[in-house]
Amino acid sequence: MLGLIKTWKALRARGIMGINRRNADYVLKYNDRRLYPIVDDKIITKERAIAAGIQVPELYGIISTEKEIERLDQIVGDRPDFVIKPAQGAGGDGILVIGDRFEDRFRTVSGKIISRSEIEYQISSILTGLYSLGGHRDRALIEYRVVPDPIFKSISYEGVPDIRIIVLMGYPVMAMVRLPTRQSNGKANLHQGAIGVGVDLATGVTLRGTWLNSIIHKHPDTTNDVQGVQLPYWDGFMELAAGCHELCGLGYIGVDMVLDQNQGPLILELNARPGLNIQIANDCGLAHRTEAVEAHVQALKADGRSETPAERARFAQATFGHVRP
Amino acid sequence: MRSLTLHLKLLIMILVLLGAGITGYQIFVLGIPVSEDETDDLWNIDAKVEFVPTPKTPVKVQMYVPPLTSDYVSLNESFISNNYGVSVNRIDSNRKVTWSSRRASGNQTLYYRLVLTKRYSNEKPKYKGAMFRDSLVLEGPEKIAAEALLAPIRQHSADVETFISETIRRVNNLNDDNVKLLLAGDPSPQHKASVVDLLLSIAHVPMERAHTLRLVADQPQSPELWLRSFNGNKWLYFNPDTGEQGLPSDRLLWWTGDDPLVTLEGGKKVTVTFSLNNSEMNAIRLAKLTDESTDADFLEYSLYSLPLQTQQTFMVMVMIPIGVLVILILRNLIGLQTLGTFTPVLIALAFRETQLGYGIVLFTLITALGLSLRSYLEHLKLQMLPRLSVVLTFVVVLIAAISLLSHKLGLERGLSVALFPMVILTMTIERLSISWEERGGAHAMKVAAGTLLAASLAHLLMTVPQLVYFVFTFPAVLFILVAFMLAMGRYRGYRLTELVRFKAFVKDREADA
Repeated sequence: MLGLIKTWKALRARGIMGINRRNADYVLKYNDRRLYPIVDDKIITKERAIAAGIQVPELYGIISTEKEIERLDQIVGDRPDFVIKPAQGAGGDGILVIGDRFEDRFRTVSGKIISRSEIEYQISSILTGLYSLGGHRDRALIEYRVVPDPIFKSISYEGVPDIRIIVLMGYPVMAMVRLPTRQSNGKANLHQGAIGVGVDLATGVTLRGTWLNSIIHKHPDTTNDVQGVQLPYWDGFMELAAGCHELCGLGYIGVDMVLDQNQGPLILELNARPGLNIQIANDCGLAHRTEAVEAHVQALKADGRSETPAERARFAQATFGHVRP
Repeated sequence: MRSLTLHLKLLIMILVLLGAGITGYQIFVLGIPVSEDETDDLWNIDAKVEFVPTPKTPVKVQMYVPPLTSDYVSLNESFISNNYGVSVNRIDSNRKVTWSSRRASGNQTLYYRLVLTKRYSNEKPKYKGAMFRDSLVLEGPEKIAAEALLAPIRQHSADVETFISETIRRVNNLNDDNVKLLLAGDPSPQHKASVVDLLLSIAHVPMERAHTLRLVADQPQSPELWLRSFNGNKWLYFNPDTGEQGLPSDRLLWWTGDDPLVTLEGGKKVTVTFSLNNSEMNAIRLAKLTDESTDADFLEYSLYSLPLQTQQTFMVMVMIPIGVLVILILRNLIGLQTLGTFTPVLIALAFRETQLGYGIVLFTLITALGLSLRSYLEHLKLQMLPRLSVVLTFVVVLIAAISLLSHKLGLERGLSVALFPMVILTMTIERLSISWEERGGAHAMKVAAGTLLAASLAHLLMTVPQLVYFVFTFPAVLFILVAFMLAMGRYRGYRLTELVRFKAFVKDREADA
């Protein structure tokens, strides 16, 4: 019991945010429920992002009825690779990534050959709501396949590593890279066994990693150090994340981005209830940083000023950056 | 806490006050027992009247019965007599039963039976009585003796109460010559009482004889004489032997006045014997009985005024918030992962019908089989609704099979699975399989175990008989529950499991130091 109280106090002192605190003080306070559809539906997110001039993977087409499945060829055209996703899917379920064509068939990125009718069945499943939250009818979107930047080659296993930045009222507060592992089946989801690696907000250099709530330093599949990797275009990522506040109107979000080999930083999706493991990856609590942002916003409000995404990103980099690795 | 706004604080306070106030009122003012185990004495008094009738003459027996205006309330009263007409009438503050018969032969036995208990409500009936009376006429040596006695009594008393006490004490002093003279060699309690009466009448103090029965079980009883006097708002009772004031609480007033307990016309050798026994009775049942037999209706607006069947439903329903509270604490304070928010409560309700141990086995078995079916159906690539229908049908067949099997094996328990748990089982299987797919088997197992644990805990708490009774009898405690839930709505501290989850931070710090 005494040990627990000690742990409690230690966590508090370090500003570690718990689920209750996140829900009460941030999610409930800053995220208006009416705006949830914007982040829950990837199509709406994408449309909003395009309208705001924010870079996203190019949308090839949307299929919303069984009849429209016929249009698949028309949508894809002669592009060799593409991705099919449920608009309201969760946890990366129902995503089909086609990497190449093989005769009349398709080849997924993991090398499996599938027929056209199998793709059509997958789309049909998406439409009936097999992968959507709560089993509602859903839409399928077909989009550009992201080719991860070679920088990640040494520290990830298959899949596409993504960059998660937590943004409070437009101010990035913490960032991490999520690296797929063999255990996570190439998915960049921490619950499924992907690695989270903290990132220094100022420089974009990776810190140590977390894997299933414990601290690690090497990628389990490639055995390369996950620490000390310089992420390219870091300032771009920061500004992109900061701009997402205007995009969706939610005050506390997790922005998931990827680094494409050809197109640079792209927004993948937004999350209204970002997880807390990012704290372990950064060896730092969220609460101190969010409080600093709240104080800063309060001060600006008193002055009647507001800042642009670029200014906000710079504030975050100056205030929270340059941490001891 | 910073974020606990004034509004919420006020709301919580109002709810707590409301809950505590209503419950307090029920307990302390209405006197509703706090626990079901609380029992009250229930007295069963039999008065047996025996006599030998004179042949060929009409028989009329009159006996006083308790007026029941005091602290006791009658639950049941019966006059057991063959071939006798019975009538009860009220004379002043007394009640009298009259048995009458045209003719009777042989030894006669009549019974009067009274079942009574202490009055529940605190309301005292209004008393009235005389406060003044004329002196009895006294002459010769008696007059002198009485005055000689009264003089020191007047000196040693301050008011009516002490005057009476003093008088009784003096009359009980048999060595006093004046007392000897007045008693005239008959020191029986009855005679002493009339001497006291005489003395008091000279001082114009009214006095009445009160005949009481002592409520003690399994001892032969006879009416006990007390003297009482009215002081303006209540009766003061005096022990005629010692002059002590105050009627012990176990005395039941049977009748007042100078007349004997029983009078008989057309017979002889009348005797009355009392026998008493007490039984303990569940206090709330007793309260319900008194409610029916009196006008006191303190249970009028409680759930007890509902029809019995509805009451039973409510006994389950009022416990649901308790179950929800358990889930709330387990999830938000402990951080246990459960399947959905209220599925554990539903499962806990289902356990009511299956019993806990058997319920856990049954749920695990059916869920495991259902999950394997679900994963098989996954290969068939079915749409959601048909798939759910198949799983539900499978669950029905499975339960039927288990019931049949256990029936054949002689285990009647298998049949206790009712309609209600079926849908819950299907939903559990569906949700579990979804979380299995999305989060993997280990996570699904963890969630399933958490759900089962939460359901068991909720079930155990929801079936504690004392708690069920308390919540059912004092539903206002639900307000306090709501207040707690509201406060929990703004709880921002860590969950217990988070202390473990973020342990890496603490270890790190220690390593650095």
